[in-house]
Amino acid sequence: MNNAFLSIENLPDRLVVNVKGHWVFDEVLALEDAVATVLPEPGQAVSFLCVGLEEIDIAGAWVLYDRTQQLSHLGIKTELTGFKAAHLKFLQHIIDAAAIREYQEPDSEPVHPRHLQVAFETLGKHTAALIEDLGTIARSILEGVYRPSLFMVGETIKQVYYTGVQAIPVVVVITFLIGIVTVHQAAGQLEKFGATVLVVDLVSISITREMGVLLAAIMVAGRSGSAFAAALGVMKLNEEVDAMWVLGLNPNQMLVIPRILGLVIALPILTVFADAAGIAGGALIAVGTMGISGLQFVERVAYSTDLTDFYVGLSKAPVFALLIAMIGTLRGMQVKSSAEELGLKTTMAVVQSIFMIIAADALFATLFTRMGI
Amino acid sequence: METIISVKNLVNRFGSQVVHDGLCLDIRRDEILGVVGGSGSGKSVLMRSILGLQKPNSGTITVLGQKIEYHKPGPSRCWGVLFQAGALLSGLTVQQNVELPIALYSNMPVETRHELASLKLLMTGLSLSVADKYPSELSGGMRKRVSLARALALEPKILFLDEPTAGLDPIAATEFDRLITYLHDNLDLTIMMITHDVDSLLGISDRIAVLVDGGVVVGTVEEVLESDHPWIRSYFGVPRAQRARQAASKGSQ
Repeated sequence: MNNAFLSIENLPDRLVVNVKGHWVFDEVLALEDAVATVLPEPGQAVSFLCVGLEEIDIAGAWVLYDRTQQLSHLGIKTELTGFKAAHLKFLQHIIDAAAIREYQEPDSEPVHPRHLQVAFETLGKHTAALIEDLGTIARSILEGVYRPSLFMVGETIKQVYYTGVQAIPVVVVITFLIGIVTVHQAAGQLEKFGATVLVVDLVSISITREMGVLLAAIMVAGRSGSAFAAALGVMKLNEEVDAMWVLGLNPNQMLVIPRILGLVIALPILTVFADAAGIAGGALIAVGTMGISGLQFVERVAYSTDLTDFYVGLSKAPVFALLIAMIGTLRGMQVKSSAEELGLKTTMAVVQSIFMIIAADALFATLFTRMGI
Repeated sequence: METIISVKNLVNRFGSQVVHDGLCLDIRRDEILGVVGGSGSGKSVLMRSILGLQKPNSGTITVLGQKIEYHKPGPSRCWGVLFQAGALLSGLTVQQNVELPIALYSNMPVETRHELASLKLLMTGLSLSVADKYPSELSGGMRKRVSLARALALEPKILFLDEPTAGLDPIAATEFDRLITYLHDNLDLTIMMITHDVDSLLGISDRIAVLVDGGVVVGTVEEVLESDHPWIRSYFGVPRAQRARQAASKGSQ
């Protein structure tokens, strides 16, 4: 057996393996194949003669050493000879490392996990953590209410700007488009009954009661829920939050409350814009393509929709805002160690806040129907 | 002496601030070059330029005969970098972090890869019990060792160290210095080391490069100490540097 890395001489009592060439990282695969061909007969010893070796590194030395160890385990005597000093040190590394490894304590008996138990324990831990976090935040909110600081006012105004004012264009555009879609869809159905004019009722009621606030909230959950989680998460990773604690500032009060307050102020305002834009979108199509005059449209809106509908929609906005801001900030504050976790928590913040918005909306719908509003 | 890294007429400007003004530096085979300089003197910028992470305004850099271009693949197989904070990938375990470069640059079987990665961890003085931990579960010193193991994973010829002892206690820092010397003596490595730690600078560097006035003063420890540049004089004149010098000269006797 001969190749670029070794040639084997078969003597009666031993195999002499001439190691040669470049035993380096890039050749590891070929080297492993090569050493696998060193197969002594029973009773034969193996000696690796490394005189012809041109280059070796840790990876190459490991392959060589590993083979000698494998052979020793099979009860075959091995020796490594003829190393140049410059090459020997690489082998020495491996031998040193192997020695350290042997000193290490053997792993303790593998424990078979009980999956159900682990699952319940995890659930319990998570629930406890959630309750604890919520409690901490609730307490600091209370503290904040008792001892409001000027800083918080400034922060809150900033948050209103970021989460509310800056979101106006996008919210206006999407509700406007939804207004158009609603009218188009409804017109097709209502035409069959000769009641085309009722599209106005439909669009104005559905936008004011449901769609306006819902779309604004979902948009804000995507925009600001993620921003809250990411911003607070990075602050946690940068130890900014710890720095605040040390300075005697309560980060829940400084960071969480302004965001919650800001959003509770911003979302109702956005809802008003959303309602207006949605009805305007409906008007564009109704007046433009369905032969309903502008005056007729306004009359119809005034007749079908009263302020209660508008208030029903608006009353949900602060609740949605509270959900978005609480979930976003809570998830952000839960980031502890890594960038990976930051991404995970941000995703959770958005998904959970949208889920909670829709769940809450369903609850509201049932509640308002029962109350007859 | 063979030149491994050659920096010619490097110019780096940020706005009106000139960091490097025609800087020339040669790094020779098998040496440990310690790089020092005041804050903002461009130590990190120099290293980032050499690694192709920073686009210089002008100048040429060659590493192992290959010209370095911004964000183009350099001789990644031949260099390893220990970033200041470790820069371990936080989503991977210690073992996976070290295995990653091996997996990227070779097609060796999983067991071999695993063994080689474990070997590197052991070589950097880590116990294999950390292998399945995530970087966030490790102390700063351990993170640096893992990062060093990752830098060594591909058997590099050049090692870049960005403040390897920053943030370590004196005992850990001394151990880390010993580890670097040991690896340097045994693995035929050329090392460029940015440091603020006078002890490790005087203790393990073969030559010192001091970044001053947009250029560089480079030489052996004695040569640099002879310099009458005011910053260099004040740098090596402060009490802690004096003590480190005494310790270094005692150590070499």
